[in-house]
Amino acid sequence: MIILNKDKPQNNEYILLDDLEKIASLHKQKVILTKSLWIKKKQFLRKSKINTGIQLNSDESLDEITDDIFCFSLIQLNFISFKDGRPFSVAKQLRKKFNFRNEIRASGHILPDQYIFLIRCGFDTVEIEDKNIDVWVKFYKMDEGLYYQ
Amino acid sequence: MYKYSEKDKKILKNRTSEFKYQVERRLNGELTEDEFKPLRLMNGLYLQLHAYMLRVAIPYGELSYIQLKKLGEISKKFDKGYGHFTTRQNIQFNWPKLTDVPEILKELASVEMHAIQTSGNCIRNISCDHLGGINNEEIEDPRPWCEIIRQWSTFHPEFSFLPRKFKIAVTASKKDRAAIEVHDIGLRLIKKNSKVGFEVYVGGGQGRSPFIAKKIKDFLYKKDLLNYLEAILSVYNELGRRDNIYKARIKILVNELGKEKIKCMIEDKYKNFANRKLELNDAQIKKIYNFFKLPIKKSKNSIIPKIDNIEFKQWVRQNVIKHKVKGYSVVMVSLKPPGKPPGDMNAKQMNELSQLSYDYSFGELRVTHEQNMLLPHVENKKIYDLWLKLKKIGLSTPNIGLISDIICCPGMDYCALATARSIPISQKISNSFNNYKQQKKIGDLKIKISGCINACGHHHVGNIGILGLDRNGEESYQITLGGSATENAKIGEIVGPSFPEKELMKALETILKTYKKNKVSEDEDFLKVFNRIGISEFKKDLYDNS
Repeated sequence: MIILNKDKPQNNEYILLDDLEKIASLHKQKVILTKSLWIKKKQFLRKSKINTGIQLNSDESLDEITDDIFCFSLIQLNFISFKDGRPFSVAKQLRKKFNFRNEIRASGHILPDQYIFLIRCGFDTVEIEDKNIDVWVKFYKMDEGLYYQ
Repeated sequence: MYKYSEKDKKILKNRTSEFKYQVERRLNGELTEDEFKPLRLMNGLYLQLHAYMLRVAIPYGELSYIQLKKLGEISKKFDKGYGHFTTRQNIQFNWPKLTDVPEILKELASVEMHAIQTSGNCIRNISCDHLGGINNEEIEDPRPWCEIIRQWSTFHPEFSFLPRKFKIAVTASKKDRAAIEVHDIGLRLIKKNSKVGFEVYVGGGQGRSPFIAKKIKDFLYKKDLLNYLEAILSVYNELGRRDNIYKARIKILVNELGKEKIKCMIEDKYKNFANRKLELNDAQIKKIYNFFKLPIKKSKNSIIPKIDNIEFKQWVRQNVIKHKVKGYSVVMVSLKPPGKPPGDMNAKQMNELSQLSYDYSFGELRVTHEQNMLLPHVENKKIYDLWLKLKKIGLSTPNIGLISDIICCPGMDYCALATARSIPISQKISNSFNNYKQQKKIGDLKIKISGCINACGHHHVGNIGILGLDRNGEESYQITLGGSATENAKIGEIVGPSFPEKELMKALETILKTYKKNKVSEDEDFLKVFNRIGISEFKKDLYDNS
């Protein structure tokens, strides 16, 4: 998997963490936690120097973490299915309502055909399979910035 | 009529090439059918029972003669020589090949047409009062607002993957010809303290759980329309159900949360997160309004010729409506001739009607949500000539608003979802009631037929609604009575157990007999009688002696 920022591929500096035990041994690393893990460990993480990102699946809302948003260096919105458009509204809300300025990343089941919609709703990056870079970049370049909204 | 800007043209061109690329990726296996499906649906391409079906958008039902001519050509070149006009004022082609679709889209684009958002879980074609801008009773022309909403909703980045489809209708009259109360959002232009704004209705719909929309805003300033729509759609995108396709429409959310709660949530979003960029200023509104100026320069002392021809007189009485400009009329073109599928038009008719619109109606045409067409501005003295020409091409049936003017879905003859056929039922009815005097005696009556519970034929809001069901492999038809899609919108009541196909016409006759015997005056139509006497009389006559 690779991270695409506009038409530029970059390495993923974050580690997706699903194991509570590993947290204590991390120093100055970038981690992405699930929502439930964050809620359990947030007292510790807030004090640590770890760069913390959070992953929200399409069916998880911002409820329970609205006061924590400023703690995240990244919010990864994970599409369970490309047909579930909730993350588009969540990203827009993060930018507008919470004034979130750090990275918003899309992951999971998304199509290159949705790339411009993602960018326009406030996403910065997408996590995609390396072999699909060309088609994603092609969609990025097809965009001429002509929108009605 | 609205004319495409350079921006519109470019957007459409890009979309056409993007879709070509999507078809290529589907054909070479890069996209699975599951992935391709929502993408093709957003371009109006369905997979039906026997073939693909392409639904082409006719924004708020407005067509130019050039566009209708092109539709006729497409139907001949890529389909079987006909098209089907729908209740969303669109047209469907039932037999295109997948590989031809990019070419069809290219042809459509050459006349400023497309199939964008005619399907899929996004904001669909905006529908409108078909008499918008040409009748005397409205506050102002609703069509510019449809165009403003069309632009805002096209490729909306946030609202292209909603829980389910989303339909918006606009009217500017008290008399509702756009069925706004059975739409996800219904908008009515009203005047309050000399200001014009909108009444906003939310959560109407048909399908297996029909609901009449709730009014959630008494008055919305014009400038705020798009922000308010964004607030509604945003609440729906976040909270609309995605676990069950049958409970995914906004009507279910409105019903589950209750009117007050959803209103609060919408107001909260609207007040706190309105986007300045979406606020409409007077200049923007005026710019769009200018596209919709009447082509008629001034009124005339022109009258409809008094010809001693009973057929012509009947047609004038039934199909010709007063225009807001003196000396002109609106001519309704019925697409419901006896024995034919409602809403169908063949290539020759499209070609010739296109020419008639050029010769008699400033090149303009409209499609109604009741699956008819109209020529919006015909000078009165030319009406007899026009009638003679319409008659030649089989488009002069005098039945607008009568029993044979039926709304009907394609049913099992085409549709993969249908549980029964609907077209043959409407053919039987229109064949059986093909005499004008006989129909006129029955009076205004709206029959609406759906071939399954998804209710594309609007049966819930038919004065008489007919729903086709599958009862152990046999087609069976359930009847509802008393429905209405007008300003007093109401869901019809089920009269009782369904009827096998062979007994359906007899049941319909019984219903009409009950109506006739209870009718107290000539102008008391079916719905008035039903509302006065209730369903029990009808039930008794239908079932007690069987």
